Amino acid sequence: MSIKKLDQAALDTWVNKLIANQSVYGVQAKGERFAFGPLSKAEDLRLDYDVTILPPKKYFQPQREDLLEFNAKGEYTSVTETEPFILFGVHPYDVVAIAQMDTIFSADNYDVHYMTRRHNATIVACDVQNASANVFAGCMNTATVTKGFDLLLTKIGEFYLAEAKTPKGEKLLTDLPGGLEPGNLDLARREQVWKDNTGLLRKHKLKCNPQELPGLLEKSYYAPVWEAKAKLCFSCGSCNLVCPTCYCFDVQDDVNWDLQSGKRTRAWDGCLLKDFAAVAGGHNFRSSRTDRYRHRFYRKAKYVAEKLNQIACVGCGRCISACVPKIANPVEVFNELL
Amino acid sequence: MSKPKLAIFDFTCCEGCQLQIVNLEEEILNLISLVNPVEWREAMSEHIGNYDIALIEGSITRPEDEEKLRRIRKRAKILVALGSCASTGGVNKLKNNFDLQEVKHCVYGQAADMPHLHTAPTKAIDEVVQVDYKIYGCPIDRREFAYIVRCLALGKSPEIPDYPVCVECKLQENICRYEYDEICLGPVTRAGCGARCPSCATWCFGCRGHIEEPNLSAAKEIMVRYGKTFQDLKNRMNIFGSKQRYADE
Repeated sequence: MSIKKLDQAALDTWVNKLIANQSVYGVQAKGERFAFGPLSKAEDLRLDYDVTILPPKKYFQPQREDLLEFNAKGEYTSVTETEPFILFGVHPYDVVAIAQMDTIFSADNYDVHYMTRRHNATIVACDVQNASANVFAGCMNTATVTKGFDLLLTKIGEFYLAEAKTPKGEKLLTDLPGGLEPGNLDLARREQVWKDNTGLLRKHKLKCNPQELPGLLEKSYYAPVWEAKAKLCFSCGSCNLVCPTCYCFDVQDDVNWDLQSGKRTRAWDGCLLKDFAAVAGGHNFRSSRTDRYRHRFYRKAKYVAEKLNQIACVGCGRCISACVPKIANPVEVFNELL
Repeated sequence: MSKPKLAIFDFTCCEGCQLQIVNLEEEILNLISLVNPVEWREAMSEHIGNYDIALIEGSITRPEDEEKLRRIRKRAKILVALGSCASTGGVNKLKNNFDLQEVKHCVYGQAADMPHLHTAPTKAIDEVVQVDYKIYGCPIDRREFAYIVRCLALGKSPEIPDYPVCVECKLQENICRYEYDEICLGPVTRAGCGARCPSCATWCFGCRGHIEEPNLSAAKEIMVRYGKTFQDLKNRMNIFGSKQRYADE
């Protein structure tokens, strides 16, 4: 696959050309923070962002989506979105998270809604240029990536290197006007960015290897930290909702005014919410705040981890920032258990 | 199947929630295709005797209103609280923070002791009669209202959120109001509004009332972290949180 070297002007021309051909969602400023949104021109693109408020999972599993339309005769039609799009500027830790979600949504039950969007997507990853306040991707081995994207952009000084990883990425490069061939020095500088990022993206320092976390949790179920932290928990689910590897959802039916037809929708849910584990008959099998608080960490670093052989935390630090009482920091909790 | 008879009554309130029903505009035709409005002072002049669904707007602030509400309850199969005043007492409960004589004199001056200005501590309607469903909000959300009416017409229990506004704020990808050094009541307030106020760049006023298990001690403890005091929090809660459950903890 090819690698091109391009300056800011070439990048802008290229991005505008991509926008002219298909939908592009890219990172843009939102107040003093950043968010992925529909990109209308290259100058709005902020590849220097630190972290987005929500992860890009919203393009594969939207906050709320229609699953199917039904009628009183028992007929139904699945709703799927089929428009191809480019997701531009995904940080490595989010690339890792998307790859994990791909496994979740394609393994046991193949989720046609998620997977259709996923197949329609071209992912342009971008190495981190500015570390966010709470990122710890360096500790989770997600500061850099070698797969899970179609094309990778890395800023080296005044230039970008764009490396295609898949035929989809290669195709994007064919639209690139006047890219230069990178020299050995450029490639060496990119190596240095990767090396630096692995060290820089450690605003919180995990005092063990992530592979040790399932074992650590194995012996920590009754640790005092759960209750101590949960006392301040609002059960607001913010830590779940901003997490790139939380994928739980709630399904609801709503009928139209004719009461003869309707649609089934699903929306993001979170295990910290009080009614998350409420079942028929009014029983709630995680009715205490402490149980719910603990569950998230077990889910991240034990249950999913043992199933997929990957920790379900990529160190983006979004939960740390989103938590109003500041109790969601996984590094703080894991270090306390050590 | 004959259409369920629907009656709408108002007590102490601004009638803004009823206005939200009128504001359904073209959808109001859908509404009346589904239910048969038999009493609705804000939109029609006819009256009739009994009803399948009674929507009650406003809170109860006079003893004679309690009697009227009990009569409505007897004639209604399903009774629904419409909006904050009816569901939680809402803004009207501000009055309960003060001595009633003082309140009357402040509002009516010399006329305060006229018999028709008699007043009592504000009650939400479930403090007087049994309520089957509550539609929260000041004002109510039209979409939620329409959804609940469809559910009732279908004989199905509506799903009314019992999670905090933070959930909807996150879904909207809003920047948290705490990042702007504001006290937002979102973490303890029932969602369902779509995080309307934070999405318009202001804090949540808590108009839908507390979730069933609000962590108010956490709300109190975090004030220090954000350079605020417990009094600041109480002041913010005054408008919609006065004399609510847990309000004085």
